[in-house]
Amino acid sequence: MKWKVFFACAAGKYHLASNAPCQDAGQYTVVDDVLIGVVCDGAGSASEGQFGSDFVAKRVAALISDSIKSGQFAKSAPADCRAYLFAIVEQARSELDEIAAARRLTLRDFACTLVGCVASRDAGCFFHIGDGFAIYMKEDGESVLSQPENGEYSDQTYFVTDDSWSEHLRVTPLSEINRGGIIGLMSDGTSPFAVNRPKTGFYRPFIDPVVNFLKDATEENGNQALKHMLEDEKTYQITSDDKTLLLALAS
Amino acid sequence: MSNIIPDVALIDNSDERAPLVLVLDCSGSMLDDNKIGLLNDGLKTLEKELKADPIAARCGRVLVISFGGDNDVELMGDWTDAMDFTPPDLKAGGMTPMGAAMRCALDEIESQKSQMRSAGVSYKRPIIMLLSDGEPTDDWQQVAADCKSAEAQHKVNVMAIGIGDQANRDILGAFSNKGALNMKGLKFKELFIWLSRSIQAVSRAATGGTVQLNPVDSWAQIQT
Repeated sequence: MKWKVFFACAAGKYHLASNAPCQDAGQYTVVDDVLIGVVCDGAGSASEGQFGSDFVAKRVAALISDSIKSGQFAKSAPADCRAYLFAIVEQARSELDEIAAARRLTLRDFACTLVGCVASRDAGCFFHIGDGFAIYMKEDGESVLSQPENGEYSDQTYFVTDDSWSEHLRVTPLSEINRGGIIGLMSDGTSPFAVNRPKTGFYRPFIDPVVNFLKDATEENGNQALKHMLEDEKTYQITSDDKTLLLALAS
Repeated sequence: MSNIIPDVALIDNSDERAPLVLVLDCSGSMLDDNKIGLLNDGLKTLEKELKADPIAARCGRVLVISFGGDNDVELMGDWTDAMDFTPPDLKAGGMTPMGAAMRCALDEIESQKSQMRSAGVSYKRPIIMLLSDGEPTDDWQQVAADCKSAEAQHKVNVMAIGIGDQANRDILGAFSNKGALNMKGLKFKELFIWLSRSIQAVSRAATGGTVQLNPVDSWAQIQT
């Protein structure tokens, strides 16, 4: 199985206006035929949210990638996925805790959400703490989703850095990935226009033209086009939040 | 190859709401220095600002509660979407039944939330903004304690704001865990511009964390 992966991130109006950096971050890699993708969203209320999201995205992707290379990741056993991912997130989290302590800060200052995937032809899973969406759409449109967890309010969520993070780590198994399938990971800035109203999958008038374009695009060209789209004036009428989108096409 | 993806639909599917209750002092003292007139102008500014911002216009849900007269608390119309908000013409006179007005605000918030829940609409943490130039003429202690406790349970975010020298900042402050702020001079306009922007700001708070607000220096007196 081959993966074509595209990724783009655009700062929201809120950050542009205050000259603050985008607090979303993302990382992806393909090891053999296994796709590893991670998107993190730094909390607006945390002083180091940007550092936190960037660090967690990079470290979680790298730790998964290393364990696949060393053969530790049981690709074919989705039941083991949770324990495996639990250990990975715990490791990234404790590294971040050391950085925080060295700077006399606390983990909370680095608060960020996490949504990611590990996927090969035979199996895979989404892993998720907090908001954002992960969607796997088969060629016939049938979809598997990992939904945001918000608590009562839509502007409140759970973070990797929370003490109770392990209660909020959600793992959604993916039984098999077929050619023509699409995996999408996004922050909560992107989902209002990328996800359909009943929240059962992508919003087709959004995703279909995007996928049509990306199918024939080079990685560089596709990434530029995605970024251009995430910076479209129309998106600033929808959200003032940062917008990140990772799309992986299986062929 | 072009980097424009053709024919992409970019529309909002999310249906998110940001409820806001304004609890406004219309007692007799609001006639002094034409405060009531400035407050009415401030509400017109709020209308203009809300409607000029596409996100605030779509997300905001506004309810105005006035208190004054013969210990009267009045709902100035029903909850409205920000895009349909028409400011009421407030008249000043009479007493300051602040306690009853805040009780009404808490009740309205809870019933609005349950309506939104049953309609499957997601919502941000509601805001109650209390504006007063004096002190209550009714029982307020229990309501104030209930406001603080509702805030501690993340049910609502209360902002208590004093207008002018006669505002009892200690009592106003008893309605919020953040205490009260005093308006700088009579900067109603700046206050309502700030409020409109606060509605759509990315004010994400971790569980148990405080709500992050935009800087208030355009309208608030900084205490020293």
